[in-house]
Formats: sequence, C-alpha cells, structure tokens
Amino acid sequence: MDAFVELSAELTGFSAEELRSTGLVEQYAVLARDASPAEIIQLWYTGVWRGVVPSARAYAEGLAWKAVGVAAPGTAGPGFGSWERRPRSSAG
Amino acid sequence: MRAVVVGAGFAGSLIAKVLGDNGFRVIVLEAGAETGHDEAVRAFRTALVKTPLAPYRRTVAAPSSDYLINTGPFAYASPYLRANGGTGSVWVGITPRMHPEDFRTADLGRGRNWPIGYDDLEPYYRAAEWEIGVAADADEQRQHVPVAGGYVYPMHALPRTYLDHVVASVVDGASIDGHELLVTGTPQARNGVPTTGYRPDGNRCAGFASCVPVCPENAKYTPHRTQKRWSPTVELRTRCVANRVHADEFGRVTKVSYQRYEDDTTGRHTRHEVEADVVVLAAHAIENAKLLLLSGLANSSDQVGRNLMDHPALLTWALMPHPVGPFRGPGSTTSIEAFRAGGERGTRAPFRIEIGNWGWGWPAGSPDTDTAEFVAAGLRGRALRQAVADRVGRQFTLQFEIEQEADPANRVTLATECDALGNPRPSVHYDLSGYVKDGLLAAKRVSDRLFELLGAEDHTSYKPDDERYFEHDGEPLRYWGAGHGGGTHVMGSSPRDSVVDQWQRCWDHPNLYAVGCGSMPSLGTSNPSLTMAALALRTADHLVSRRAGLLAEPAGSRPPPR
Repeated sequence: MDAFVELSAELTGFSAEELRSTGLVEQYAVLARDASPAEIIQLWYTGVWRGVVPSARAYAEGLAWKAVGVAAPGTAGPGFGSWERRPRSSAG
Repeated sequence: MRAVVVGAGFAGSLIAKVLGDNGFRVIVLEAGAETGHDEAVRAFRTALVKTPLAPYRRTVAAPSSDYLINTGPFAYASPYLRANGGTGSVWVGITPRMHPEDFRTADLGRGRNWPIGYDDLEPYYRAAEWEIGVAADADEQRQHVPVAGGYVYPMHALPRTYLDHVVASVVDGASIDGHELLVTGTPQARNGVPTTGYRPDGNRCAGFASCVPVCPENAKYTPHRTQKRWSPTVELRTRCVANRVHADEFGRVTKVSYQRYEDDTTGRHTRHEVEADVVVLAAHAIENAKLLLLSGLANSSDQVGRNLMDHPALLTWALMPHPVGPFRGPGSTTSIEAFRAGGERGTRAPFRIEIGNWGWGWPAGSPDTDTAEFVAAGLRGRALRQAVADRVGRQFTLQFEIEQEADPANRVTLATECDALGNPRPSVHYDLSGYVKDGLLAAKRVSDRLFELLGAEDHTSYKPDDERYFEHDGEPLRYWGAGHGGGTHVMGSSPRDSVVDQWQRCWDHPNLYAVGCGSMPSLGTSNPSLTMAALALRTADHLVSRRAGLLAEPAGSRPPPR
C-alpha cells in the first residue's frame, strides 16, 4: 500500500498525505495493480478507470479539480456569492 | 371542465397549475418516468460523460432526443428530455426577456413576425418571473429591454463571477464596430436574496457549478417546483405516451389515446383513452409536432412541423492572463447584449454573448482533456500539477447564441422507422441559412476582438473532423445545439399560414392548444424558457376566462384576431 501511495505521489505531484485524505487509496491500489503510470495519473486526476467512474467519491476527489483549487462540479457548494471572490493561488 | 395536458415539463406544469387553481379537473400525461432528485445527483457524479441528459432515468418506450433521425445537410444537435419535468429539469436557468425587435423579425431581419408584441407579453413576463423566481435588477435590465416602471424582480440580481468583473473592467465602454460594450447581469432562475414579498422555494444558490444538468441544492427552478403547488384536482400520470388526439367531424377534440408502460426496458404497454373538453399539447416543439402529425390534426396550413429553429451556438475559448477561478458558481451570470438588435440584423443574424464561467468544460471537456494532454506530453508530478492549475485556472468560454430564422424547409416529419411502442420516430431536416452563417461568422470576428481587448490567449479551434464543422467564406466554423427548439406549430395572425393563434390555440380546432417554444415565430437571441413560460401563463388566463366557450364553441366561429 505504501509503495502505491509513494508511486502515486511521485506521479501526481500531490503528497502522500493529500492522497490518503481522499479516502481512495485502498480502492485505487486494488484497481491499479497492473496499471501504467499514465493510467494511474488519469485515475487520480479525473476519477476515471478504464472508461468507468468507479464511485461518486472518485469523481469528487479528482485531483485535476484540487490542482485548480475548486470542488468538482456538483459535489460541494462553497456558498452563496463565493464565486465573486478572487481565486486563491492554488498550485500548492 | 376536463382538461388533458400532454407533457409535464415547463409549459405543461405551469398551465396545469392555473387550470387546477381555477377548478378544472386536469390529467397530465407524461411520456417519461420520474427521477428522484438524489438519484439524479448520484447519477451525475458517476456518469463518465456528464452530458445534459446523463442524470435522468430513460425508458425504452419513451426515448429522448437521441431517437431523432437527421436527414438534412446539418445535424439538429439539441438534446431534449422526456421525463417528468422535461428538459426544464436540465436547463441552465437563464431567463432573459426577448428584445422588442424580436417580435418583428420579418420586418427587421429574416423569418416571421409575431401576432403580438413585446407590450402584450410584458405583464406575463412579470408574472412568469414571479412564478419561476427570477433574480435580476430592473434598472440593469432596462439598459437593453423595457421593464415596466416600478417593477421589482422577486430576487435581487445574483453576485457576478470574478471572471465577469475582470471582463467588465476591460470591455465596459469599449466599442466594436460601433457597438458600445457593457457587461450586463443575466436574469437567473435560481435562488438569491429575495426582495420584499417573495418567499423563495428551495435553498439559496451555493455555487455547486452543475446547474446543467442538475442543481444539488435545488436552488434552480424546475417544473417540479410548480408541480408541488398543483391543486388536488391535477393528476399526474407518468409513463403514459400520448399517441393520438381525436377530433369529431366538426373539428372539436374529444379524447386522447395513450400507451402506458411499467417496464422501463421494453416497449410492452397497455392502451388507454381519456376524454377531454380541452387538450393542451405541451410535449416539446418536436414531440408536439410529431403528435399533431400522427393525429392528422391542426395542419390545414401545412405548417405543422415546419419552421424548426434553435440557437446555433458558437463557442470560443481562451486563457486569461491571470487566474479567474472558473467552475465556481452558475454557468453564466452576465452577457454582452450589444449585438442583439439594430440595423445589422437586416443582413446577418443577431446574437447574444454569454460569458461562460465553467472553463472549457463545454467546448473542450476540461479539465480531463487538459490532464490527458499534459500526461501525453510526459509531464509528471509537480510539473503536471502546476500545468493543470495554470491552464484550467485561466480558462473561460464565450457562448454566442445566434438567431435562426423560421424557415419552412427546416422541419419535423414522421420517419418510416418506429420506436418500441410502434410509433413513428421524428425525422428532422435541418439546415443553416446564409443569414445564420453570416451571423456565426460575425460572432467569431467579435470574439477575436474581445479576446484581443482582454489580452486573452485564443485557443479556439474548429477542425474538419469535429462534429458540426463547416466553412463559410473560407473560414472554419462550428456550431453547438443550445437546446432551444421552437417554431414547429408556429403562431400567426392567419389560419392560412400558421398553426396556432396568439393564444396558442390551433386554428383548426377550437379546444386544442399547442403550447411551448413550438409556438414561437422567432426565438430572437434569448434563452426561450422565460418567454415560453410567459406565453403559457397568458394561454392559461385565456383558457380560464373562456371556459364556457370551450364547451360550446364550434370550429371556425371565432372572430379573427386583431
């Protein structure tokens, strides 16, 4: 498991802690046993595994959204009028 | 008084409510099934491709727009949903009024005039805005359309996006081809801060950024909200596909045949009939035309199914110099209205410019596509993370809604192929005229100028192997379907060349109404749902005031409209 997290962290640019906080490490470690690096990145960034979204959480925790600093559409309401604020610098 | 309404979408739900409130016994026949709100939200999150119809339960017996057969030179690209709530469940919730010029398109541009004008509809715009719950500022709207003096929208204008402020800070006061630019708030059918006397139904918009196809917060109006307020005399029957309206020898409509199914996965069904004193078809422009053609009714003018129009939308996309925070809040909260009216519509289609707040999601499938691009280029780790953040964080899209004029050659007919219930599928012959193409090209040129003003890096690209690609005057172009189908039972001032009168009553049948965008002689450049709602409320008032006449009046006995 730790090896999968380490590899994922190296590929995605997100720390092991950030990856663990998604709650998806165990599910993804099983899914991505034989995956190529590109497939592992796609799974983490978009929540898509070989043409399927394995769970609503996989979509919600997509790292592409986190990289931008926004919630995946339809998963969280940051609050009325929040869209008016200057975006925080989000590259992490 | 027994009324049958076919279709539990936007127009049907509104009319059923007014009729029920006024003592009619109403049966609403809905072809599709019901999708629970939580079920739709869940389905959206796990859908691989988050298309507009993806969250909603679909049935084999009542297919949605994907069962259309395209036969023309261009594909009719707009989706519609057959389900309780109809396409009004999916809509983005943007509610601009039509421009007064849009009611005189034949005089000022191309296409057809309306038999009524803006002033006739204005009180019903106000009624619709209060029924639906629209957030807007009257003074701001008066900058481009007349709004009655003293009028207050039920909710204050929604806050603009950060992107809107950035765009406005640059373009407000600038000019393109003699048009002075002004970023203007777009009226929104989603809950904000109420003004005096309005109690919003549902929660305030929390910025889930998924208005299309489903608002998890229930802040966006859908017809379900009106259905909750139906009186007990309104009965909804889902999974009931109306397949024939019957008229007697005098042209009076007597009953509706429908097919009822329980299993969503097959065409197995039972047959039923329901008698009615008045029938209101509110099944969507294409489905209304299909049902009239199947029934052999209302077509003495030969206009049923003709004049199919939509907004061919041009999308252009670019990167701002700095992060703008896309994918936060509603899909679009402002627009540039300067190209909706004026002398140029004599030579090319006018358009309205929406400032799109969801990055390149619609035109390019961001951020998944950006990620795939960077991964393919070999980016890994922090470099990848940084590239995605930088690219997606600066994205925005301009969405141009181009007017398409009523053209009788753009039409819905019955295909020889049948659906699972044995009913003919709709066949669509669709084309874009030179007038529309000139409008699309003019829009592209305005986009080029806007990007230049904004210092934005243009990433728009239309390629020959893209869907709906074409060239015009040597320029590559492309259009998208806006989901604004109309014109197929067109309203007019004479039974010779139109299907319904100004009350959306079929000229040929005194107690048959065809309502919705299908009645509209022009769509102008505004999203049409609000206008559809205003027309529906106007028709409902007319039905209530003429209820005695509905029982007695034979065909052909009405005075001509003014």
